[in-house]
Amino acid sequence: MDERILEFIGDLRRAELRISPSEALDALAASAEVGLIDRETFKATLAATLVKESRDLETFDRIFNLYFLDLQALGEGIKKALGPEDARVQDLLDRLVDEDGLELDDLTELLMRGEGSEMEMAIRAGGQNAGLERLMYFLQVGYFSRKIQDKFDWSTIERDIEKIMRMLEAKGLDPGQLARIRNYLELRLEAFNRMIRQHVERELERRAYRQGEKLTREVLSDKPLFALTPDEVAQMKNVVARLARKIKDALALRQRQEQRGRLDARRTIRRSLSYGGVPMEVFLKRRHREKPKLITICDVSDSVRNASRFMLQLVWSLQECFSRVRSFVFVSEIAEVTQAFATYPVERGIEWALKAAPVDYHCRSDFGFAFSRFANTELESLDRKTTILMLGDARNNYNDPQAWALRLIRERVKGIIWLNPEGQWGWGIGDSVMPMYAPSCDLVRECRTIGQLGEVVDNLVHHWWRRGR
Amino acid sequence: MFDSVEDVQQRFKNARYIASRRISTVVYLSERMGRPVLIEGPAGVGKTELAKTLADITNRPLIRLQCYEGLDEGKALYEWKYAKQLLYTQLLKDRIGELIADAPSLPDAVARIAGQDDAFFSFRFLSQRPLLSAIQSDQPVVLLIDEIDKAEPEFEAFLLEVLSDFQVSVPELGTVKAKHVPLVVLTSNNARELSDGLKRRCLHLFIDFPAPAEELEIIRLKVPEIPAKLASAVVAAVQKIRALELRKPPSVSESLDWARSLVILNAQALDAALVESTLTMLVKYEKDLERVKGALDKVLAP
Repeated sequence: MDERILEFIGDLRRAELRISPSEALDALAASAEVGLIDRETFKATLAATLVKESRDLETFDRIFNLYFLDLQALGEGIKKALGPEDARVQDLLDRLVDEDGLELDDLTELLMRGEGSEMEMAIRAGGQNAGLERLMYFLQVGYFSRKIQDKFDWSTIERDIEKIMRMLEAKGLDPGQLARIRNYLELRLEAFNRMIRQHVERELERRAYRQGEKLTREVLSDKPLFALTPDEVAQMKNVVARLARKIKDALALRQRQEQRGRLDARRTIRRSLSYGGVPMEVFLKRRHREKPKLITICDVSDSVRNASRFMLQLVWSLQECFSRVRSFVFVSEIAEVTQAFATYPVERGIEWALKAAPVDYHCRSDFGFAFSRFANTELESLDRKTTILMLGDARNNYNDPQAWALRLIRERVKGIIWLNPEGQWGWGIGDSVMPMYAPSCDLVRECRTIGQLGEVVDNLVHHWWRRGR
Repeated sequence: MFDSVEDVQQRFKNARYIASRRISTVVYLSERMGRPVLIEGPAGVGKTELAKTLADITNRPLIRLQCYEGLDEGKALYEWKYAKQLLYTQLLKDRIGELIADAPSLPDAVARIAGQDDAFFSFRFLSQRPLLSAIQSDQPVVLLIDEIDKAEPEFEAFLLEVLSDFQVSVPELGTVKAKHVPLVVLTSNNARELSDGLKRRCLHLFIDFPAPAEELEIIRLKVPEIPAKLASAVVAAVQKIRALELRKPPSVSESLDWARSLVILNAQALDAALVESTLTMLVKYEKDLERVKGALDKVLAP
């Protein structure tokens, strides 16, 4: 069984669960502790020792079910297929073997009298060198089933069945009974064949799952943001949440590290009184670090619809993490959505920002107009603690870029970071005015994929806020 | 201590805690393998309660370490009682004077005082914090490390050391080894990713909101005076409220509170007015309250 568990662990690893050798050993030790009698217990044991992230539980469940089948259910399935005749005929066969010295081949014995689990083991053994690792498509299922079937010696089985029938005939059973018994034996053979096919099909599913899971994880982080399907967007949500948490962790760490500084004479002396004037404990003055103030401005025009859906997810998470975040969206008119994001849950907030914010969604995006409006209305509220995070492709539809407005804004704030969902090769070509805005920005990054976004966020945390500019 | 997984389950049930098969298995394994259990899950599903009940059914004292930001070794493990040490040296000034009176040289005097180190650095002057007292205890204990995610990553690394060998080194005293390996339960609300090392060391248990049948069982067990029909109505309503997108969905502890308050109000069935007036037991945020009130007819629909 240990081998089976190790093989299972291999599959979990291929599905990108991180399992260390010590955890694998734990799983073996633990399963030896509880035994294999109860499937639920066994499953809980493996889960407790192997799965350390709750989000991986679902993957674990799926692979577990592919791997360790429900033998009890299987046994019942066979019983049902065989009908009520089962018990009586089984009895008869048992008596033949025990009392009349019927000698059967091991295999026939297994097929005629065995339990579901024993049959399963036989099939698994047969499949071992049938080249199942080459199984890739559904069309191959038939071929491989045949291949496993060929491993069994069917002529012996048939001979044995004839033997049984002859013995029964000699015992004087009437033809009706004999027909029923023959029918029963054939049903069992058929059930066995069906099990072989099921085994191959499950194997295929397992393989497909392995491959699929790996593919999604790899491809997702390299896939351009605007090409994501709704399902993928849902998966992305987790990633963004993780990123947001990373930011928070990094900031918290920094704040703690800053707790060294100059001596706090007042507190040190106060505490020294309880030691008779000896300064046993030294207190340092805490330097107060400003909280980051963040303004996000996100392009929500049709051309970047999917990318901005994703960007808004980031904005929503940022707003949840930090107390001083204001969020704006624009097409050409610019509007604040801070309140909506604070009120609505993420899905609804984003829907709202993409459809119902007080901007005209049908015109073409105009960065210049948006910036000049922003400069007009918000300039007063900007200060040196503010960082502006711009999310947009800078495709201005040949409108006036009004780069002066962005310059003006830059003068009032700590810095501007621009994340562009378009490849760097496109900047400045056609109606892209990225090169005109770039001089006013402190950091311009291509942000086409989730992988790139991850890098950008790490960058932000490490260089931008840490440097304490 | 436990015969089997079923035994664990039964004993938890006797102590009025409904432990699913999964929970009992992990508890059983933890005891057999001497491994800590790390429990994750939303607030109020009975994580802390599990540790308390475990202490209860094993007849062991519970030692609890509540984590918070800024928790350090001094508060978790041990601290020297500086003031007491200082006081004793003052009081014993004369004796110390006698001791070194006839020392021929300064190094000699220092050596003599150093020889008396043990007197001042002994357990007498050590104030034990939860971790050390769990390790030092003469009888086996249950150690609950609550909300480990609130403490800093550095503390986690330190804890890892303690949990892997169940020993602590106090430089002045040497290594203190556990007389009995304690049953350790850690809980986390997932406010922060825990380090891989700690996770690797622990058996992992995720407790989610219970399934309707399980929740009904819990309510019937904890609030035995509740009428059967009301109990099922409460469970149905709570399940529906959880499905609404709330900032903080009601947990088991909240549904128990609600059930208790309904019993006190002598309610026999749920109706809109009653639910509205008792909703604060269940939902804790203003915005959530409004949401639930808006969807009340859906919540109460059979």
